[in-house]
Amino acid sequence: MIAIQTDDVDIGALIASAKKQGTGAIVVFDGVVRDDEITEMELEAYEDIALQELEKIARDATNLFRLLHVDIIHRIGRLLVGENILIIIVSAGHRTEAYAGSRYIIEEIKKGVPIWKKELTKEGGRWVPGEHRHGQPKTE
Amino acid sequence: MTVKIRFFAQFRELLGTDIMTDVAAGTMFTSLITSVAKKNPEGYAAIFDENGAFHEFVILMKNGKRIDNADAARTAVMDGDEIAVFPPVAGG
Repeated sequence: MIAIQTDDVDIGALIASAKKQGTGAIVVFDGVVRDDEITEMELEAYEDIALQELEKIARDATNLFRLLHVDIIHRIGRLLVGENILIIIVSAGHRTEAYAGSRYIIEEIKKGVPIWKKELTKEGGRWVPGEHRHGQPKTE
Repeated sequence: MTVKIRFFAQFRELLGTDIMTDVAAGTMFTSLITSVAKKNPEGYAAIFDENGAFHEFVILMKNGKRIDNADAARTAVMDGDEIAVFPPVAGG
């Protein structure tokens, strides 16, 4: 399942469906809204393009790390502290490939998938700066 | 001919999005975004530097394909194109 959506997902059900013939390891990455003195987080995506890029990242990860199954669900809209933002579930024959595949997917998402986060505070809001500044060094 | 311009994140807040605009044949990517962004000085300053060039961190797309900022001034827009302009991504 590769999706950009407002709704949360049942991680337990996704883990169950990630168990394929040959699975020896499943790695779950669950990115959540951190309590950085914010009230909510608002997420926005260039949805058509972001979905295409998530699908490509999943295909590349599958080929590079011999993954048996990949789920990537990125949520958008307004989320409260503690809510799930991004769920990545990968299944592989062995832990080495599962960990590496999961790490590859999150790092590729942070590099280039057009999704943005705004932290909402009592005073207003602030856009979260990207880690990859398109030719400029990271500033934080 | 008509082109759709999509701004995202802080650029959207400053300039709006899903802007349908009529343009003359031969209009270039940079000149189109310049004319639209000039409607809000804060929006213009967010996207362009003092020399009128795109800030290096600004990301440009035409019909889902990235356009190098240096090539945008000589990239013509066509009828039905979807142009996207956005800041560095921060998903995950």
